[in-house]
Amino acid sequence: MTDLSITGFVALSAALFGIGLFGILTRRNFILLLISIEVAMNAAILNFVYFAAFAPGTSGLNGQSIAVVLVGFAATEVAVGLAIVLALNRLKGTINVARATDLKL
Amino acid sequence: MSLEELAFLALAIIAVATAALALLVRELVHTILWIAIFFVDLSAIYFLLDAPFLGVLQLGVYAGAVTILLLFGVMTTRKRIFSREAATGLGPIPVALALVTFIFLVSALGELPQSETSIQSYPPQALSVNLFGPNGPWLLLLGLIMLAGVAGAIYLVREGRE
Repeated sequence: MTDLSITGFVALSAALFGIGLFGILTRRNFILLLISIEVAMNAAILNFVYFAAFAPGTSGLNGQSIAVVLVGFAATEVAVGLAIVLALNRLKGTINVARATDLKL
Repeated sequence: MSLEELAFLALAIIAVATAALALLVRELVHTILWIAIFFVDLSAIYFLLDAPFLGVLQLGVYAGAVTILLLFGVMTTRKRIFSREAATGLGPIPVALALVTFIFLVSALGELPQSETSIQSYPPQALSVNLFGPNGPWLLLLGLIMLAGVAGAIYLVREGRE
């Protein structure tokens, strides 16, 4: 149907994963950290979707199914992450991950 | 250059730019607005790849639910919603590490098989038959993990925790 090449898509998700990794390594705010993880995870999900689109036969459906499941995983992860943000904010008064040095208060 | 290639190029540039801007601006609310645009842009890419179900899922789950959750997190953890973050240095090592990862991933591009097939389009019915048939165990796992996530989140934020 279309004549898009797979190379551009893989380069895009490589760039997005690099940006996400950079964010994970540099940001100290817990919410920014979660957003960086989301960017990196979306790069991975994107991989599944376009390898599914370029797969021969109907085997691409497996890739799309895994992508649907991964979207659910990522949403769960954000929900638990924000619960940790709220708990951290209540205990420490900050959401700077560099301050979260104790295992138990 | 065909119309699809132009559309993909524009969408890719918007995706990279919004993801980078989201992590570089200093107001947390602006970050969340940029990341919302990023999620909408990704769903446009899914539509471009003929995966309409995933596009709609991306719009609903990411651009809708995750964005609102993140805004809610910002709202409950600070007094003034537009207060700026303390500046965080870029730091040469993280930038170098991210660049090395990017170059490593791009260097694998040459080994990709050149696909002769054009983009496959599957109807959502076929996707749901596949999702609930051969890939049913993954769906069950997702349900279990979501249940554990809900229980864990409630445990973490419950009142009177000492």
